[in-house]
Amino acid sequence: MKKILQRLKKRNYISFISLWIIVFLYFLAIMADFIAPYPYNKQFRDYPLCPPTKIHFFDHNKKFHLRPFVYEIKLVNPALNQYEIIEKICPIYFFVKGEKRKILGLFPSTRYLFGTKQGKIFLFGTDMHGRDIFSRVLYGARISLSIGVIGVSLSFFLGFLIGGISGYFGGRIDNILMRLVEIFMMFPAFYLMLALRAVFPLNLSSFQIYLLIVVILSLIGWAGLARIIRGMVLSIKEEEYILAAKALGISTFKIIFKHIIPNTFSYSITAITLSIPGYILGESTLSLLGLGIQEPFPSWGNMLSVCIGNLRILSNAPWMLIPGFFIFLTIICFNFLGDGLRDILDPKNW
Amino acid sequence: MEKLLSVKKIVVGNQQVKILRDISFEVKEKEIVSIVGESGCGKSMTLRTIIKLLPKNLEILSGEIYFDRIEIRKYNEMEKIRGKEIGMVFQEPSSYLNPLFTIGNQIEESIKENISKKEKKEKIVNILKEIGLSPNVYYQYPHQLSGGMQQRAMIAMSLINKPKLLLADEPTTALDVTTAFGIINLLKNLISKYGLSIIFVTHDISLARYISDKIIVMYAGMILEKGNADLVYNKPLHPYTQKLITCLPEKYKKGEKIRTIEGEVPSFKNLPIGCPFSPRCEYRQKLCEEKIPEEIEVDNRIVRCIRYGNFMEN
Repeated sequence: MKKILQRLKKRNYISFISLWIIVFLYFLAIMADFIAPYPYNKQFRDYPLCPPTKIHFFDHNKKFHLRPFVYEIKLVNPALNQYEIIEKICPIYFFVKGEKRKILGLFPSTRYLFGTKQGKIFLFGTDMHGRDIFSRVLYGARISLSIGVIGVSLSFFLGFLIGGISGYFGGRIDNILMRLVEIFMMFPAFYLMLALRAVFPLNLSSFQIYLLIVVILSLIGWAGLARIIRGMVLSIKEEEYILAAKALGISTFKIIFKHIIPNTFSYSITAITLSIPGYILGESTLSLLGLGIQEPFPSWGNMLSVCIGNLRILSNAPWMLIPGFFIFLTIICFNFLGDGLRDILDPKNW
Repeated sequence: MEKLLSVKKIVVGNQQVKILRDISFEVKEKEIVSIVGESGCGKSMTLRTIIKLLPKNLEILSGEIYFDRIEIRKYNEMEKIRGKEIGMVFQEPSSYLNPLFTIGNQIEESIKENISKKEKKEKIVNILKEIGLSPNVYYQYPHQLSGGMQQRAMIAMSLINKPKLLLADEPTTALDVTTAFGIINLLKNLISKYGLSIIFVTHDISLARYISDKIIVMYAGMILEKGNADLVYNKPLHPYTQKLITCLPEKYKKGEKIRTIEGEVPSFKNLPIGCPFSPRCEYRQKLCEEKIPEEIEVDNRIVRCIRYGNFMEN
């Protein structure tokens, strides 16, 4: 592991940084209960569409405060969501006391990473219900970051299995499996997604919906991959080292999974990391249509979906687009990471 | 000495072409048998027939192969024999090693015994030393080794299970002369050490004489001459063998033009009806072009030529 990191750092520094950004994002998602100053569904009715709170070190008298503070704000025009700063200093405390929450659903805690005793701190502003976007981004990361990874691993498992078998054995098996793949590819992905979602009832619990979305997205994703893996296996199985492995009496199963599949990694690792964004976006598409993760549970997709098509929000509250920035960051980091991994997975590049 | 492998009247091909015709030979214990011939005359296919790894469009049409009392043609569990009883070494070591795994990893995979990881590693390091490689090679990837080292690693891989028979498919062709002789001496030593037999495919007849007890001369999927190595080399009977030997550069003075065999190896789709060598043969008679000569024993060896015997019944 340490060796891989060193190689990554040496070969491709950008992907090394990307790896750490991804690790950091996952850390935020896991620790959301502790880091988020407010619960994801806590509504501050007095603060709808509140802009991001500025953190100050100097007060209005230009006096320096060692402890950063925020000013308390007040809604002055509910129609236009205009806020006024009240010159009352609310210092930010670390490990501040708050409502009781369970960290990771296991350890009850009343202390959180940061917060204020008076006033409110909305690092990324609030949405129209007055919910803190920063907290929701952290909780939403749990869904958006895991849906990509779980979905990708499911569909890659299917893709490798079916593509590998199909390519290696060829003949009739190949024919049957590839026709099956074509049936899946025949439907436009978007309608297939909707149709699959429509088969299931709407009143599912959010966890069931989550699982359902993962399964639907991977069912759509595996077909194209299986085809590509099949093509690669077809060419790799003619390589001489496969003949040598056969001559050494290595079992078919081992030949497929140890000799052929790893040799497709130069392509498939990049494909994996490039397709993770597709799952994040797929989830947001479903959410946008009201078929994905339901309010009040946040995902980056459904947080964004609120502002799409709402010009007033887009022009007056651009901070509502912050989840989009996180989607962008995740996608670009995964892409760079894929690039770097492809480089270091080939021993000739060491 | 006991017979280890006996191949009897093997025909390999499909409906359109016959790649191997009427191949029969025997390999005794601790014996090196060389198969010699030009490119594309079915030497490698003979080896792949023995281990039943023929390309998909070819099959054994008739004949029998006995290995250690097992009828290979009807035997369905080849995975038990491959690697364990019969090892194989290939021509181009760099492309026969998986580029993604270390040598140790690849050798370990071919160990058939059920032993712990530590014992496996010990075993591999031992064989690497025996074969003339440093134990360090265990952690190295194929591209980090030279051609000769790669070939040694391949040999280590095919010998790790102590097979009875080693099939060597032109193992020295891709190497330079000094490394090639290193490999050949290694193979010779292994025979006494492991008590193994080798079928050695090469296109260099003088190398074949140097290494082996018996030489089989193949042409267009047929055995034209087989017998004791020195005998075949010093007193070749078949015109093709004679020509092969006159083509050797060491038989010529500097600057002298080397006489090659005129014409080309016939393609398998367009084989002559009679003796396969007849179009290029200077002793050819009318009958040669019509009938295939039978194998006959002359002068302690077997030859397939009209000059020494009769034609086969078509």
